[in-house]
Amino acid sequence: MTRDQQEAKIDQRALELCVRCGTCRSVCPAFEVLGWESKNTRGRIMVAKALREGFPPDAGVLDSLNTCTTCGICAAKCPAGANPPSIVQEARRVLVGRGVMTAAQAGFRAKVAESANTFGELGDRLGWLSDREGLPDRADSVYFVGCLDSYRYPEVAARTFEILRRFGVSLLRDEKCCGSPLIRTGSPAETVMEENLRQIREMKAKTVITGCAGCYSTLKRDYPPEFEVVSVPEFLALHLSELDLKRLDMTVTYHDPCHLGRHAGIYDPPREVIRAICRLVEMKRSREEARCCGGGGGVRAGYPDLSLEIAKHRLQDVPDGVDAIVSCCPLCVRNLSDAGAGVEVIDLIDLVARALETA
Amino acid sequence: MDIIDRLRDIVGERATAAPAERLCYSSDASQVRGTPDYVVRPLSTAEVSAVVGLAAAEGVPITARGAGTGLAGGAVPLRGGIVLDLSGMNRILEMDLANLAVVVEPGVIQARLNERLRPFGFFFPPDPGSANFCTIGGLIANNGSGMRCVKYGTTRNYVLDLEVVLADGSVVRTGSRTLKSAAGYDLTRLFIGSEGTLGVVTGAVLRVMPLPKARRLVIASFSSAEEAGRAVARTFAAGIVPSACEILDRTTVAVLRRCEPSLKLPDGDVLLFEVDGSEGAVAEAAAEIAALCSSSSGAAAAASVAVVAGAEEMEEIWAARRLVGAAVSRLDPTKSRIYVGEDVGVPIKMIPALIREVAEISVRFGIPAMKYGHIGDGNLHVALFIDVLDEGEKARLAGAADAIHRAAIRLGGTVSSEHGIGAARSEYMAEQVGFVALSVMRAIKRALDPKGIMNPGKLGLDDGPAGVGGSGCGARADGTPGGKS
Ligand SMILES: Cc1cc2nc3c(=O)[nH]c(=O)nc-3n(C[C@H](O)[C@H](O)[C@H](O)COP(=O)(O)OP(=O)(O)OC[C@H]3O[C@@H](n4cnc5c(N)ncnc54)[C@H](O)[C@@H]3O)c2cc1C
Ligand code: SF4
Ligand code: SF4
Repeated sequence: MTRDQQEAKIDQRALELCVRCGTCRSVCPAFEVLGWESKNTRGRIMVAKALREGFPPDAGVLDSLNTCTTCGICAAKCPAGANPPSIVQEARRVLVGRGVMTAAQAGFRAKVAESANTFGELGDRLGWLSDREGLPDRADSVYFVGCLDSYRYPEVAARTFEILRRFGVSLLRDEKCCGSPLIRTGSPAETVMEENLRQIREMKAKTVITGCAGCYSTLKRDYPPEFEVVSVPEFLALHLSELDLKRLDMTVTYHDPCHLGRHAGIYDPPREVIRAICRLVEMKRSREEARCCGGGGGVRAGYPDLSLEIAKHRLQDVPDGVDAIVSCCPLCVRNLSDAGAGVEVIDLIDLVARALETA
Repeated sequence: MDIIDRLRDIVGERATAAPAERLCYSSDASQVRGTPDYVVRPLSTAEVSAVVGLAAAEGVPITARGAGTGLAGGAVPLRGGIVLDLSGMNRILEMDLANLAVVVEPGVIQARLNERLRPFGFFFPPDPGSANFCTIGGLIANNGSGMRCVKYGTTRNYVLDLEVVLADGSVVRTGSRTLKSAAGYDLTRLFIGSEGTLGVVTGAVLRVMPLPKARRLVIASFSSAEEAGRAVARTFAAGIVPSACEILDRTTVAVLRRCEPSLKLPDGDVLLFEVDGSEGAVAEAAAEIAALCSSSSGAAAAASVAVVAGAEEMEEIWAARRLVGAAVSRLDPTKSRIYVGEDVGVPIKMIPALIREVAEISVRFGIPAMKYGHIGDGNLHVALFIDVLDEGEKARLAGAADAIHRAAIRLGGTVSSEHGIGAARSEYMAEQVGFVALSVMRAIKRALDPKGIMNPGKLGLDDGPAGVGGSGCGARADGTPGGKS
């Protein structure tokens, strides 16, 4: 029996932690845009609770649960210690198990099943890699590229690997989607996860390095704790002195990806790397208080208008006079630039590559 | 044409009858439940007026709602009908600081207003624990207040003029922008605290105050909550008026430490006194309070007294204090705070007696109680917490809440100091205000809302059975839409 078929129920204790105080109303980015009570954290928990008691899962229920970006700011602010994104994810899983899902959720399932990536791309996942020779079959550390950088930002993948390679980091030969889009939207991801895990084991890798906040979160939380997971900014910060970066005459701001910041507590390493290269001015709300880009939790695929509107709200936090917005997640980069940032939105690795080029 | 279609004619997509939405508007932060048939999110007075007009024509109940953080079921549509969610009307329309006034829509969040005022050196004093998420409309309708009430009073003291949509859809202005006015009945005050039973507030002119130049916090700990209560009475008797005076019993202190391990709070039952004003005056007042707390003899003396002057440290303590009520489960995740019997108040002299009675009730019913609150104005928040999966505890909870309410009335106090009556406490209205006063209120209600469509079932105003909701525990908990409850 797959996890999909198990008759899952949302943990009642987890639900009862919510006392409906409303604190989360003031922070939920989706609610800020949509305004309906069912589109805020408290409403989603009420919906999850009602589902447990037999409430029919109609379109309104699906929209309530699936407009959550899993940004986690509600969990950080909840005085009662509730964990709403995990409740939302559980509720999605229960419904998917019953065959109730949105077209976007079904789309992720079909695409990953057919192509092992979230785009349904059938092309070579390592298409960005010019020089495949000499990739060791075994390595202490491997670079986990992720679907987005593999297919949408191949130059970011290439730049990242160019640096990592210098430190003896290798690649999985046949990397699959990490499973994040499936897990966040309530679907089982064992097939791709097991395939990744098999390769990581075969390579005898002790460390997996990734430049995508979503992959990071998933590798860290949803895979067995057999290997260490390191984010690219952490890796870069650790090796700063060996990189010989030149200073650039520019001012940037940094957007904390939810899954790197609030979910994993990685705030300082990217800032350390940026400060080694150029001036950093913080966004109006940053670190623990950072607002979501609107891309996560399946929202970009399922509710593109909402997703862009959340990104536009986030862009209001960008300080005046910066030359670029830097982030450490391809989904954040993509969503913020699609929302019309007005300045370029780049991955941290792009900034590092420029500082290396000048060298 | 169906009512939903006519609502859509008025507000477009901002009206719904979708089951999931009706479910999510079936409660606030209390235990009261009632499912609306329609939810409407108006953005202007004209829209509110048209919706209320439609409700009046059709005889459909209409319940105003701000952020739904109320603790008495005030925003819960007990008889179904339309819920009017005003949180989208959230513009600050005018900053008229020369007249010490601001003009706001009802959905403005208290803390957003204060963020706008701060750079100009002003503030809107009513400062509830929910300041970061409750609306001005909700505060007006409940006459809400908070930590600084002891010096600055309640919302009532800061409303100069209201725009109200009456039960037939007509629009009235109740006051003027002047700081005083002697023209007829005080309609402004009539609507303040009326909990949406007389009309819908669509705009307000609020009075603001200059921010004090300095603040100090005195933290004193005592061997018992009762002793802490006595120290409060002594302080007031000495003629000192702090800007805030809060009690945190030892359970509350433990919860606060869980939430914010860095907080520097002493052991024991703790009092927080805040004083504000000029530098010299606050230093003097803080020293005086500290001396008063430590000078008594024996058990009455404070075990420790400290004075905090750092703005950041003070704000950290207040921020944690604001949300402590909802945080009980940090101590034990199997326990949830249930907001019942949570808002009693007594004359300051009676506080030690109230604390004693609450402790007794807690033991008698076997329900643990955390005690904290605005003790400086006699308001004690009692946080009863239970395992909600335990039916026995649930049943005992209702008894404990009722006993607390009756104790407050017996001690010459009130069943609600600031959270309102709503449905959760309506059964106490006759006892609380007296039959004659309640009859006057009912007459006013009939005059302004002859069809009884404005938030029916609240405040004990209905001539029918007074006890809807009771202690707040017995009310419907099914939460499933299914029309009128
Ligand atoms: C953690 C927590 C701490 C709290 N601390 C405090 C505190 O310290 N002090 C305090 O006073 N309260 C406190 N409260 C209670 C609550 O926040 C207040 O009662 C607040 O004023 C409610 O505002 P709201 O916008 O949520 O109103 P709602 O709950 O939506 O509505 C409250 C009442 O106002 C009516 N209403 C709302 N808007 C309008 C309008 N525009 N016109 C007419 N009627 C309207 C509703 O019909 C209802 O009767 C706390 C609540 C929580 C959850
Ligand atoms: S902040 Fe926490 S307890 Fe309060 S309504 Fe949101 S999830 Fe529930
Ligand atoms: S995780 Fe983010 S989007 Fe989801 S409910 Fe919480 S605050 Fe809203």
